[in-house]
Amino acid sequence: MLEAQGLSFSIAGFSLLREIDLRVEPGKVTAIIGPNGAGKTSLLRLLTGEQRPTAGNIALSGQPLGDWSPTQLASVMAVLPQSSRLDFPFTAREVVMMGRIPHATGLVRDTAIVDAALAAVDGSYLDKRFYTHMSGGEKQRVQLARVLAQIWEPVADHARVLILDEPTSSFDLAHQQLTIANMRSFAAQGVGVLVVIHDLNMAARCADQLLVLSCGRIAACGSPQQVLTATTIKQVFNVDVSIGINPLTGTPLVIA
Amino acid sequence: MVVALVLLVLAVLLGLLVGPVQIAPVKLLTLWSADQDMDGRVLELIRLPRVLLAALVGACLASCGAVMQGLFRNPLADPSLIGVSSGASVGASCVIFFGGFGFLGSGLGLPAIAIGAFLGGMAATAVVYRLATSVTGTSVSTMLLAGIAITALAGAVTSLFSFFADNEMLRRISLWQMGNLDSANWHRVMVIAAVVIPLVLVLPREGRALNAMLLGESEARHLGIGVEQLKRRLIVLTALGVGVAVAVSGVVAFVGLIVPHLVRLLIGPDHRYLIPGSALLGAVLLLLADTGARTLMSPAELPTGVITALLGAPFFVALLLRQRRDLVS
Repeated sequence: MLEAQGLSFSIAGFSLLREIDLRVEPGKVTAIIGPNGAGKTSLLRLLTGEQRPTAGNIALSGQPLGDWSPTQLASVMAVLPQSSRLDFPFTAREVVMMGRIPHATGLVRDTAIVDAALAAVDGSYLDKRFYTHMSGGEKQRVQLARVLAQIWEPVADHARVLILDEPTSSFDLAHQQLTIANMRSFAAQGVGVLVVIHDLNMAARCADQLLVLSCGRIAACGSPQQVLTATTIKQVFNVDVSIGINPLTGTPLVIA
Repeated sequence: MVVALVLLVLAVLLGLLVGPVQIAPVKLLTLWSADQDMDGRVLELIRLPRVLLAALVGACLASCGAVMQGLFRNPLADPSLIGVSSGASVGASCVIFFGGFGFLGSGLGLPAIAIGAFLGGMAATAVVYRLATSVTGTSVSTMLLAGIAITALAGAVTSLFSFFADNEMLRRISLWQMGNLDSANWHRVMVIAAVVIPLVLVLPREGRALNAMLLGESEARHLGIGVEQLKRRLIVLTALGVGVAVAVSGVVAFVGLIVPHLVRLLIGPDHRYLIPGSALLGAVLLLLADTGARTLMSPAELPTGVITALLGAPFFVALLLRQRRDLVS
């Protein structure tokens, strides 16, 4: 389990995050929503150890994040940043294979995992294609396959964490659904999934727990039913909405 | 890889046998033997060190170029970006201008110019590195800009030396800057071999980490790579390699830029193969260029750097055009 307590973060005297408590529980999908500039990406940077909080503690499997060696951490926590630039003509397979860098499982096992990860994002046909020649959505899928391959199987029974920053921003409808399915299936294996997402209805559909960030603070936290109310959305996004029920999934449906 | 090795052997043989004096292949058998004739001695004392020097300098520049392009995540980067070459120019012209630094190189059997060039190159890289490093780590893009600034500054200082130099000094400064292997001897070969051979063996080990760096620094960090240490290590190693290469041969243009490009076109961008491949092909290309430099205007000799630039520039333009087409399609 990834657990943060009392996280605060400021850069050059400018406070970006204040007093954040958060638990990414194994087997659950936690989604962070919030307006632009609310501090979502900064929060992910702290949780992944890329930046140190000004105050507060972060622990993974009960051990402070700072005590994990880079390779150890990389073998159980995979992170997909918002956008990645890669200007070199690697094939999709080579990019996904980089996800296996933290592991020493051998080429045979790694190849099987890369095959499966590419298939999971509907990217098998991209296998030998050059990354530099792909469309935006294809590139994003290959990157997603890379982070899935990174934590494809458990390492010595450690809890695994999957962190995705807007993974579906350039996906079509089918691939959005596929990504939700991937998050759910990783959660079903006991992986703690943390995702930043802009589409409130997608968040409602994929998440067990929703965390609303507003101006660097937690504005609301709980199940989609608890959090996605007209009052909260008015308060945080300053938009009038009405809330219905998604007839297919039974989750809240935000109608703006 | 096998093809490249065969090419290297062929290029070495060509470099040994072809020159102002053509030497029969049989004479190769008299290397290091007592009953040498004139040709045998030319082979042992002139050709062989020169050929080895060309191969080592080529291998060094090309593999360092491959590393720089990976580190800067830019296929158009070149080892001189971190200021080594321009700093070396300042060092070399300073020694030529003021003279009397003979004591500097006596220990290693190297001329003072080489030592001055090496020190100048190291100093410039150290400045560039310091400028780009803050508490948050080393910024590769700041380093690129700092490298450009220091290169411009160093160019101005070299021009100042040239301006105040007399005719003889001026000629030596500009010949040095053209890059030349004509002062090859066994001493120089030993010095550069001591640096380049370990370097070429060590660099490919960083291949996997460099591949991850191409994804981006934070992506590499999330894959468990110690990014800051990697950057520091690679910058020190390439500065050392390029510094020594420039010290013994002057500024040999384009090898470090073009060879990794060529190898990438042939075998792809994976640094585990790109770095050794570049080392081999770099050795082959500089050998061929140097053989050309010795023979084209024989008995006069062209500066090797002029040949590499003459061949390299059009080739580079062709690559750019090709790349533009790739971007459009």
